[in-house]
Amino acid sequence: MAKIVLRRVTKSFGQKVAVDDLNLEVEDGEFVIVVGPSGCGKTTTLRMIAGFETPNMGTLHIGGTLMNHVPPKDRNLAMVFQNYALFPHMSVERNLSFGLRVRHASKKEINTQVHEIAEMLGIRPLLDRKPAQLSGGERQRVALGRALLRKPQAFLLDEPLSNLDAALRTQMRFELKRIHAQFPVTTVYVTHDQVEAMTMADRIVLMNDGELQQVAPPETLYAEPVNVFAAGFIGSPKINLVSARIDHSSGGSALRCLATAIPLTTEIADQLRSAQSETVTIGIRPEDILPQSPMDDTPGRAVVSGTVEVIEPLGAETHIAVRVGDDILTCRTPPRSGLEMGSTINLSFDIAQATIFDGTSGLRLC
Amino acid sequence: MTTLAKPPTSDDTAIAEPRLRSAIRHVVTTAWLFPSAALLIGLFIIPTCYAVYLGFTNLELLGQYAQNYNFTGLANLQRMIHDPTFWLSVKLTLIFVIGSGVIAQTVLGLALALLGQRVNVIARSSVGAIVILAWVLPEITVAFVWYSFSQAGGTLSHLFGVPNSDLLSTVPMLVVCMANAWRGTAFSMLLLSAGLRNVPREVDEAAQLEGAGYWRRLFTVTLPIIRPTLMINLLLITLATISDFTLIFAMTQGGPGNQTAILPVYMYIEAFQFNQLGYGTTIALTLVLIGAILSIAYIRQLRPELQDSTS
Amino acid sequence: MSADQLVTTEREVTAPAVVRKRRSLARPVLNVFMIVIGLVFLLPLLWLILASFNPTADGTLAMPHPFSLLNYHLVIRAGAGAAIRNSLYLAGVSTVIATAVSTMAGFMLARRKIRFKGLVLVLILFLTGLPITLLLIPTYQIFVHLNWLNSKFYTSLVLASMSVPFSIWLLKNFIGQVPGEFEEAAAIEGASEISILFRIVIPLIIPGILVAAILTFINSWGSFLIPLVLDANPSDTPGAVGIYQFMSANGQVQFGQLAAYSVLFSVPVIILYLISSRWLSGGFSFAGGVKG
Ligand SMILES: Nc1ncnc2c1ncn2[C@@H]1O[C@H](COP(=O)(O)OP(=O)(O)OP(=O)(O)O)[C@@H](O)[C@H]1O
Ligand SMILES: [Mg+2]
Repeated sequence: MAKIVLRRVTKSFGQKVAVDDLNLEVEDGEFVIVVGPSGCGKTTTLRMIAGFETPNMGTLHIGGTLMNHVPPKDRNLAMVFQNYALFPHMSVERNLSFGLRVRHASKKEINTQVHEIAEMLGIRPLLDRKPAQLSGGERQRVALGRALLRKPQAFLLDEPLSNLDAALRTQMRFELKRIHAQFPVTTVYVTHDQVEAMTMADRIVLMNDGELQQVAPPETLYAEPVNVFAAGFIGSPKINLVSARIDHSSGGSALRCLATAIPLTTEIADQLRSAQSETVTIGIRPEDILPQSPMDDTPGRAVVSGTVEVIEPLGAETHIAVRVGDDILTCRTPPRSGLEMGSTINLSFDIAQATIFDGTSGLRLC
Repeated sequence: MTTLAKPPTSDDTAIAEPRLRSAIRHVVTTAWLFPSAALLIGLFIIPTCYAVYLGFTNLELLGQYAQNYNFTGLANLQRMIHDPTFWLSVKLTLIFVIGSGVIAQTVLGLALALLGQRVNVIARSSVGAIVILAWVLPEITVAFVWYSFSQAGGTLSHLFGVPNSDLLSTVPMLVVCMANAWRGTAFSMLLLSAGLRNVPREVDEAAQLEGAGYWRRLFTVTLPIIRPTLMINLLLITLATISDFTLIFAMTQGGPGNQTAILPVYMYIEAFQFNQLGYGTTIALTLVLIGAILSIAYIRQLRPELQDSTS
Repeated sequence: MSADQLVTTEREVTAPAVVRKRRSLARPVLNVFMIVIGLVFLLPLLWLILASFNPTADGTLAMPHPFSLLNYHLVIRAGAGAAIRNSLYLAGVSTVIATAVSTMAGFMLARRKIRFKGLVLVLILFLTGLPITLLLIPTYQIFVHLNWLNSKFYTSLVLASMSVPFSIWLLKNFIGQVPGEFEEAAAIEGASEISILFRIVIPLIIPGILVAAILTFINSWGSFLIPLVLDANPSDTPGAVGIYQFMSANGQVQFGQLAAYSVLFSVPVIILYLISSRWLSGGFSFAGGVKG
C-alpha cells in the first residue's frame, strides 16, 4: 500500500514559488507521468516526495502516513536523479549495490540481483568501471539500475531516459513498462518526451509555473484539455489555435474567424454563452483539418482557403502550414500529395471536433 | 479535480518539524562546529581582545610589572609617538612591504608569468620549478642561505663587486628585500599565470588585428583585464609581508643598529628582549592598523570591478 | 579544455604570416631571458646543496672537493635529528587537530542552514588576515596564566589554531563544490547519516582534506616565532629554532653544517609539496557523477 497524496503542497525558494498549492493523488501501483515546461516545478515536486525538500505548506502522505518530516532514508523510495548522482568514487557494481549494502543484504543476494539488473539494462560489461568512464546514456542506465534494484514503496524517476538515443529509449520504455506490469510499484515519472508521456502513463500530470493544470489519462488530456495551455502543450504538431469573435445575430450564432463566419449549432452556441468576453480561442488538432479539392462536398464542415507556406515531408505523412488571413494552420496530409509552396488550397474542418476556449480565462468552454 | 474529504489537520498551515528531531539536528550541528569555535575563540578572538587591552597597559615580561601591571591609558601611544625607533620601524616596514613585496615580487612574478606564456615548455617548467622551490623552502632556510650569500667573500658580495664587505652591515635592507623577493616571487607568478590563462584569447587577437603591438596590448588590454587578480595578489602579498618576522629576524635580528627592525621585529625586541610586553602589544596593534588601512585601500580599488562583473 | 586546444591549433594555422615570423624571432631571446632569471633564482639553491657537502664551505658558491657527508654527520650528532623529530611532532599534531576540526566545521558550514552563517564566514576570513605578531603577546600571557608554557602539545594547539581559519575556508568551499545530490542519492537508498559520512562524503572530499592537511603541515613545520616564544624547553626545540640557534651560537658560522641542517630540514616539505601539487594539478573532479 503506497498511495502518494499531496494536499495543498506549496514550496517556495525565497521569492520564487516553485510549487503552488498542489493537490495530487497517485494511486497504489499507478504509473503517473509529470510533464510541463522547464522550470515548472517537476523536480521540486519529486524532491518533496523524496524528502529532500520540506513543503512550506500542505501535507504529504505516502502509504497513509504523514511524511512531511520523515527523513529520506526512512521513506523506502527509489529515485533516478535528473543528473544521475552516481557516486563518482565507486564502480558501477558498487553503485548498483549501494542500497542493498547499506541494508546489509547477503553477498549472494547482492551478486545475483546486480547481475540480473545489469543484464536487463545492457550494462553488464561496465560493472567494473567508474562513472567517469561511462557515456551519458550508460550513466543514465546505471542510475536507473540503482533505483530498480530494490523493491521500494515507490519509484521517483526524473527524466530517466533523456540521454539515451532513440532506439535505446524505445527499448528502455518497453523495459520499464514490462517491469511495471510485473511489479506494479507506484511510480512518479518526469519527462519532456510526449511519446513517453502518452505511451507509458496511466495518468498524466500537467504542470505550468508551479501550478497543476490537469491530471488525466493521456487520451482524455489529448481530447479534452482543460485550458489553452494544456491543449498547446500536448500534441505534435501543435494544436492550431485561432482566435475568433462570437456573433449571436438574428440568423443564428456564428464564429467569425479565418476570414469567414462559421455557423454554430444551437448546442454549441448555448455552451458559448458562458464566455466572459466576445472573443474565444478555437483549438483544432492538425489531423482534424483536411485539404479539400474544390469538387468535394462535405456538408457541415467549414471551408477556408489559404496559401501553402511550409511543407514538411516526414515520410509516413506530410505536415503543411497554410496561411489563412493572419493565421497559420498546420495540418497533416498523406505523403506525396503533390502540393507546392505558394499554391492555394482549401481546408475543411468540423467545428464540432474543435475545442473552444474562453478568450480571457483560457478555460475550455466546449 | 482531486477533491478530498477535508483531513483533520488543516493543510493551510505549515507542519512543524517534530521537536525532538529538530533538537537533535541542532545538537549535532553545534557539536560539529564546537571544536573549531573553541579553538578560534580561545586562541584568536580572546587573544585579540586581550591584545587591545594589553596595548594600554604597562605589562612587563619580568619584574615589578609582570604580575601587577596597570592600565596606563594612552601612555604607550604617547611613548610611541615620541619614539624615533618606532618611526624608523614604520618606514622600514613600508620599504620592506612596498619594495620587496609590492614591487619586486609582483613585477618579477608578472614577468615570469608573461614570459611563461611565450617561452618553450622546458624553459617554463624548469624555471617555474626553481622559483617554486624557493617558495616552498622553510623561511629559516631562506634566511640562512641569504645570510651566507651576503657575507664578506660571499657570492652576492662578489656579484655586487664588493667582495670584501659584509653586505648585511653595509646595505642590510637591500639584502633582506632581495631575500624576500626571491622567496615570494613564486606566489605572484602562480596567481598571475592563472589570471593570464583566463584572459580570453579572442580579446588579444582582436587587438592584434587592430595592429596593436605587444607592449601596447599588454598595457591596454591584458593588464586591465587581470587587474582584479593583480589587486588580490597585492593584497595577499601585503598582508603576508607586513607581518613577516622569521626571515629578517634570523638574518639580522633587526640590526645592525635597528636598520632592519621592521615592526614585527621591533615588537619582538621591545617585548621579549626589553621586557616591554605592553608597549610591544601597542606596536603590534599599530601593525594591524596599517595592514587594515592598506587592505581597505586595495579592496576599494577592487570594488568597481566586482560590481561590474555582477551587474 | 578541448575547445581551448581547438582554438590554439586553429590560430596557429590561420595566424597571419607576419605575426608568426615575429614570434619565432622573439622566442629565442625570450627563452634566454627566462633562463637567465631561472639561473639567478637557482644560485642560492645551488649554493645550499653544494655547501652541505663541503666541510670547509663559506659564503661563496664553490664545488666541494671532495664531496663529503661529514656535515650531515656532525649536525645529526649535534641534535638536528632530535630537532626535526620535534618539528614532526609540532607539525603532525597541529595538522591532525586543525584538519579534523576544520573538516567538521567546513562540512556544517557548507551543508547546513546556520544562523548568522554569512557573518561567521566573514569573521573567519578576517581571522586569516590577522598576523601572529598581534596574538603572540596575549597568547604568551594566557599561557603564563594557564601554566601552558614550555609544552609541545599546547604549542601545537596554537599552531593548529593558526591554520584553522584558512582550512575552514578551503574545506567549506571544497565541500560546497561537491554536489549535494550524492548525499541525497545515498539517503534515498537508505543510508544513515553516519554511513553517508563515511561512505560518501569523506571519500569525495579526501583530496580537499589532504590539501588542507599538507598546507597546515608545511606552515607548522616552518614555524619559528611561536615555538621560540612559547616553548623555551631546550629538548623541545624544533628545526627552525634549532637552525637559528645554530646560526647564532657558533661564533664562527659553520656554513657547511648549517647547510646540511637546512637541507635535512627542507626535504620533507619539498616532498610534501611535490605530492600535493601533483594532486592539485591532477585535478580531481566529480566527473561522471553528475551530468553537465
Ligand atoms: N534550490 C533552489 N533554490 C532556488 N530556486 C530553485 C531551487 N530549486 C528549484 N528552484 C526554482 O524552482 C523552479 C522549479 O524548479 P524545478 O527544478 O522543479 O523545475 P523542473 O520542472 O524540474 O524543470 P526542468 O524540466 O528544467 O528540470 C525553477 O524556477 C527553479 O529555478
Ligand atoms: Mg527538473
